[in-house]
Amino acid sequence: MDVQELVGLVPWTFVAQICNLFIQMYLIKRFLFKPVNEMLEKRRALADAQIREAEQAKADADAIKTEYEQNMKEAKEKANEILTTAQKTAALQSEEMLKEAASQAAALKSKAESDIAQEKRKAVNEIKDEIGGMAVEIAGKVIEREISEEDHTKLIDEFIANVGEAS
Amino acid sequence: MEVDISGARVFFTIPTNIPILGDLQISETLVVSWIVMAVITGLCIWLTHDLKVEKISKRQAVAEMLVEMANKFVIGNAGEKFRKLIPFVAALFATSVVSNLISLIGLRSPTADLSTEAAWAIVVFIMITAQKIKSSGIGGYLKGFTTPIAVMTPFNVLSELATPISLACRHFGNILSGVVINALIYGALALASSKLLGLLPGVLGGVLSQIPILSVGLPAITSVYFDWFSGVMQAFIFCMLTVMYIANAAEE
Repeated sequence: MDVQELVGLVPWTFVAQICNLFIQMYLIKRFLFKPVNEMLEKRRALADAQIREAEQAKADADAIKTEYEQNMKEAKEKANEILTTAQKTAALQSEEMLKEAASQAAALKSKAESDIAQEKRKAVNEIKDEIGGMAVEIAGKVIEREISEEDHTKLIDEFIANVGEAS
Repeated sequence: MEVDISGARVFFTIPTNIPILGDLQISETLVVSWIVMAVITGLCIWLTHDLKVEKISKRQAVAEMLVEMANKFVIGNAGEKFRKLIPFVAALFATSVVSNLISLIGLRSPTADLSTEAAWAIVVFIMITAQKIKSSGIGGYLKGFTTPIAVMTPFNVLSELATPISLACRHFGNILSGVVINALIYGALALASSKLLGLLPGVLGGVLSQIPILSVGLPAITSVYFDWFSGVMQAFIFCMLTVMYIANAAEE
């Protein structure tokens, strides 16, 4: 079997090895780099998607939080408003009630006073009548004679006038 | 007992008679090169079948690590704009390493043939030159030979031509020295065992002296350096220099 020189350039081998190198480059590119890079790209895309999702979720959560805080603030304000309104209303009401009570009391008092005055007048009138009757009787008995109706009335009136002054 | 260290064997010759190229000789170098390519390609296909995005297998982790290493090696040494160079450098490295290590299974390394390294070095040299012309124009490239003064031109041309020659010869020399020293060690050990066991009397000595019993052991130790270390180291150096030269060419 022939052998080539130990140290020498064989043109065909030289050309073939150049071709081999480029074929090998293509094969490595096709069978190692292409699938691995595609897979890495997919993984990167997946990671990116997950990060985006997380960011979206965070943004959503933030939005919900702000909304919640806003709501809380509004609710607090509302509660405060209600409280102040209630306090005002209560104050107004109590004032009104006091006024009413006072006016009622005043009305009651005036009514009672007028009642008393009326009763007094009534009583005075009754007493006037009774005393008149009594006086007529007494006078009849004392005088034991028929007094004319004119004198009668005159006497009574005189008497009543005296009584009225005395009472 | 003779120690025979020769070039690649020629399995058969196809007469083509093209001037300069001569007859096509299918030599050991070419056949083993094809085996090497088949091994690398098979390995790539095996590593990258059934790739998954998550819950990856060890096999896939190795594939990813190799790709990442190649990326880091080229981009770290040359920069982001040489991303296109990654498959070339990876092919160069893989072919070189597998070619160097295939001698471990008894085949003749394709890298123990100067034609192989010369082919790679010429490709690298053309790439360097193309990169230089691309970055500074053909005028700038030619002008670059006259720096710092015109008298230096022959030396600059020489140093330019020395790049591929040194690239090729460095790799070839290391691998060839391994081949030579291995052959010498095997030859010497066979001779020693034949002489040693030949001292035994009668037929026993005659039979045993034919078996190079001393060849077991010592060559394994020397092969750690000459095949493993030197093989991987030279492949690394070749690729490193390729990347550095091309990156330097782009900077000018």
